[in-house]
Amino acid sequence: MLIRATGRRLQMTRNRSLKRLGLTKAVNDSANVSAGDIASLIYLWNPWAIVTCVGSCTSPIENLMVVIMIYGACSRLAPLAAFGYVMATHLSLYPAILIVPVILLLGYGPDAPPTKVFILKSSSASKSDMSEYDKQTSLKVQRFSWMTVLHFIFWLFIWSCYVLLLSSIILKKVGGLNEMFEKTYGFILTVKDLSPNIGVLWYFFAEVFDFFRSFFLIVFNMNIIFMVLPLAIRLKHRPCFLAFVYTGIVAMLKSYPSAGDSALYLGLLGLFASELAEMQFTFFLFFGYIGVSLLSPVMHNLWIWRGTGNANFYFATGLAYTCLQTVLVVESVGSMIKHDRKLRLLVTS
Amino acid sequence: MPLCQWHYRDSSSANPLFSTEDAIEANRFMKGIEAAAGVSIGGIDLAKFISQQIEDLGAEVCYHKFLPHSKHFHPLKFFTSMTNDMAIQPNGTDTNFGINTIGIIRAPRGDGKEAIVLVTPYNSRRVDSNELLSLALGFSVFSLLSRAAWLSKDIVWLAADSQFGEYAAVSAWLNQYHNPVFLSHSMILDTKIYDGNAEKAEFFTFKRAGTMSAALIVKVGETRRYGDRDSVTMYAEASNGQMPNLDLLNVVHYLAVHRQGFRVNIAAFSSLLSSAWLRVIAEFFHNLGTVLRKINPDWKLDIAVPDYVEGTANLANSIYNQALGVPTGSHGAFRDYQVDAVSLEFSPTFNVRNENAKSLLLLRGGRLIEGVVRSVNNLLEKFHQSFFLYFLTAPSKFISVGVYMIPFALLLAPLPIVAAALADGNKSMEKLPENLIDNGKASVNADVLQNKGGSWKWLQAAKVLLVIQLWAVCVSLLPYYITQIPDFTPMQSAVIWAMLSIIILIALYVMFGSPYPAGVEWKLLKATMITSISIGLGLMSIINFATAQLGALIVIPMCLFSRPLKAGSGMHSLPRAVLLISNITLAVLGFPPAALLIMKGLSKGSWTVDVGDFWVWMEFLWQWSSATYLYLFLVHLPCWLLCIHVLLHPCRQELKLKQE
Repeated sequence: MLIRATGRRLQMTRNRSLKRLGLTKAVNDSANVSAGDIASLIYLWNPWAIVTCVGSCTSPIENLMVVIMIYGACSRLAPLAAFGYVMATHLSLYPAILIVPVILLLGYGPDAPPTKVFILKSSSASKSDMSEYDKQTSLKVQRFSWMTVLHFIFWLFIWSCYVLLLSSIILKKVGGLNEMFEKTYGFILTVKDLSPNIGVLWYFFAEVFDFFRSFFLIVFNMNIIFMVLPLAIRLKHRPCFLAFVYTGIVAMLKSYPSAGDSALYLGLLGLFASELAEMQFTFFLFFGYIGVSLLSPVMHNLWIWRGTGNANFYFATGLAYTCLQTVLVVESVGSMIKHDRKLRLLVTS
Repeated sequence: MPLCQWHYRDSSSANPLFSTEDAIEANRFMKGIEAAAGVSIGGIDLAKFISQQIEDLGAEVCYHKFLPHSKHFHPLKFFTSMTNDMAIQPNGTDTNFGINTIGIIRAPRGDGKEAIVLVTPYNSRRVDSNELLSLALGFSVFSLLSRAAWLSKDIVWLAADSQFGEYAAVSAWLNQYHNPVFLSHSMILDTKIYDGNAEKAEFFTFKRAGTMSAALIVKVGETRRYGDRDSVTMYAEASNGQMPNLDLLNVVHYLAVHRQGFRVNIAAFSSLLSSAWLRVIAEFFHNLGTVLRKINPDWKLDIAVPDYVEGTANLANSIYNQALGVPTGSHGAFRDYQVDAVSLEFSPTFNVRNENAKSLLLLRGGRLIEGVVRSVNNLLEKFHQSFFLYFLTAPSKFISVGVYMIPFALLLAPLPIVAAALADGNKSMEKLPENLIDNGKASVNADVLQNKGGSWKWLQAAKVLLVIQLWAVCVSLLPYYITQIPDFTPMQSAVIWAMLSIIILIALYVMFGSPYPAGVEWKLLKATMITSISIGLGLMSIINFATAQLGALIVIPMCLFSRPLKAGSGMHSLPRAVLLISNITLAVLGFPPAALLIMKGLSKGSWTVDVGDFWVWMEFLWQWSSATYLYLFLVHLPCWLLCIHVLLHPCRQELKLKQE
């Protein structure tokens, strides 16, 4: 439901910005593609999401918090966004990097074509005869509203204090807040348990020497942080899409990935259906996902129960899965940038 | 080509201890058990006699009571291991139990961590003399081993009660051994009801002996004339095409042939052994091989004609048994717990009523079993060095996975490439209108932003695939409901199954729309079909390679050749006719019942058509939880239906484009 509402807001913003650019025909044609509905259907009917629910995993709750955060930011409801952020970060560490797109969403508003396009449009409009009112509205597009952001930070502070207070009261007998941080965040960051999962870290850390273990821990954790800033700079005009890219990267590189993470970003992918209409390799990606999700349990069974395979078979499917995710992220970013470029060409032509 | 490689050979089996005294003891046992069998009611007396003999040796005895599994179709049976159907618990009045008798020798020098299992099945309801002979053989080996000084692993002797089937007895015992079920009420009370004398209570507590390192199932079969020597037939295939480690088979073969003078066979397709066309092919290869040898003496490709024919028959049988996924004997039950096991069936040349022949068989058979047990006993670890994945072409020759995977990989490799080419070829066709717009018109066109669905057009083909897979799942689950209706002959069940499947297909089409809307091009449909079949075959090759291999031979030509019958208007008439005929032939061959009919014809040599046979075959497959059943219905059938869709595609888009 929340995904659907987010989609609707995104669509309204998109139509508004396209109208400003004078591409009214595009608006009429794209009216039948309701991105929010597609996204929510993808999320609900995704076999991976169903499997995580059957397996009684808590990832649907984490996904819910992330989507609350994104919806709150899109609708500029700062308390809701702050609540979603605090809960998502409390439940699993990685949504912390989503603070960047959330602040951008609250400041600039939902996704829009880059500011350059609007400037080009207004400069071309000033050449032709247009009313003063239109010029003023087109210039007033991109201003960063600090008030909303400050409001968000204030609510963030309140919610986080509340959650930490509650946790410390509940955990007083067991060891208090320090213990909680060590067991939850520490566990995620130090990768102590190496049971096989669909990620790539367990195989690597099973072979690394103890002397280099902390070095590689730092490298793997910084891997995610390195990607935050460049992507934010490139995609700052599309914060919702930025949030999607971040969830995709986190699902790939986190220390204990699971099927629920991919359910989240596949659902968010549907929100951008109209912009991503020309993504390449979709056939390969779709059947690749199906193939890997069928092959991976079989390889696991072969290794552990039948004894005729070994860890390499299972890890190969994990590698193939990571490869597919990489291709998905790269292709979606590429096609989004191509879409923006096309808009620019249309405006200048 | 059959290969031969180095394998494990144990030198300490050079001097067997089994001697004529042991044969005499076996004879004594045989007379005793014949007497017991004569007066037995319900087979309990046999079990009591055996347990008495074991106790006299000083070994531990226990009984194991079990019930047969229900034979109903249950969808989850394929994915969960065979759990004991304790739901058929009687209320203490039913005496329809089976009783396995187990004897355990604790090794004097061992630590009790490992065990070797010897199984001799017998039917307690209807014992015949061959089974008594095999029990005697088992007992004599057991008594020899109880005195052996070299024993370091425990020995377990299971006299399995095969009144519900040999496999059921062994798998029930193994299940209790590895996954014990603790009941709320004790079963000891039940046995005291029909046991006249008070049996010792300790006989009913289940005793275990550690992990099993290997198992041997021994049977004495019918008298057969294979020549002047007694023969042993080895059965090795377990469920879903799994095989024991090749070392175990090599040990048995070496000891049987080179030490005891047996003749070892494996089962073969008798129809192939006597077929004339195979002989023609064999002679052709022989001549070709001799010619090649003259060119280069190192190419030893000329195989003698009888060897080639026999090797092919053995290989065909090996592939067929593995592809069916049904175990060829109770050694299959051991494989589910990762224990290497093989079944040996002794076939004496002369009638066993002849005392000399019987003694000789007992002597040599006993020495063989003792040799195998001694070899396994001396191992420090389970068999893992040799191959687990192989086909047998002769008792001492095999084809390993590294060789037999190559044809399959060659068949499978073009599939993703063809799929990608078809999917991309479709995209380049779409880009033509876009170029026209860019070059010709300067006004802003919203089509540029919205590419008429863009590169997601194959989603409609994927939707067709999804609907067909859904139908296939429904069809595969239908027998669950059909079996609930009692008293149907196989013919009626098969007919009802076919009719219900057609009805469900039509209902799904009505619900989801016809598969030929304006958007689905046949190339995309074919690309989707090829991708799905490559994923399906890839998955199946890991679960049961032989099934995937045979399936690939049938399905892949069908898929790659398929073109709509209406397409190809730009081709000459002869290639077009050839293509049409080949498409139709392959489509007919690809239909699962047709494929099964061919298999049956090749294996049994009879080509009669009976609709009820199909039902019987499917019932056979699902009773044994064979993955072949799932493969046939979830991979083969949807692919065949998609192929039919492609063949009957109306091809409206090509006509439209040509008109523009």
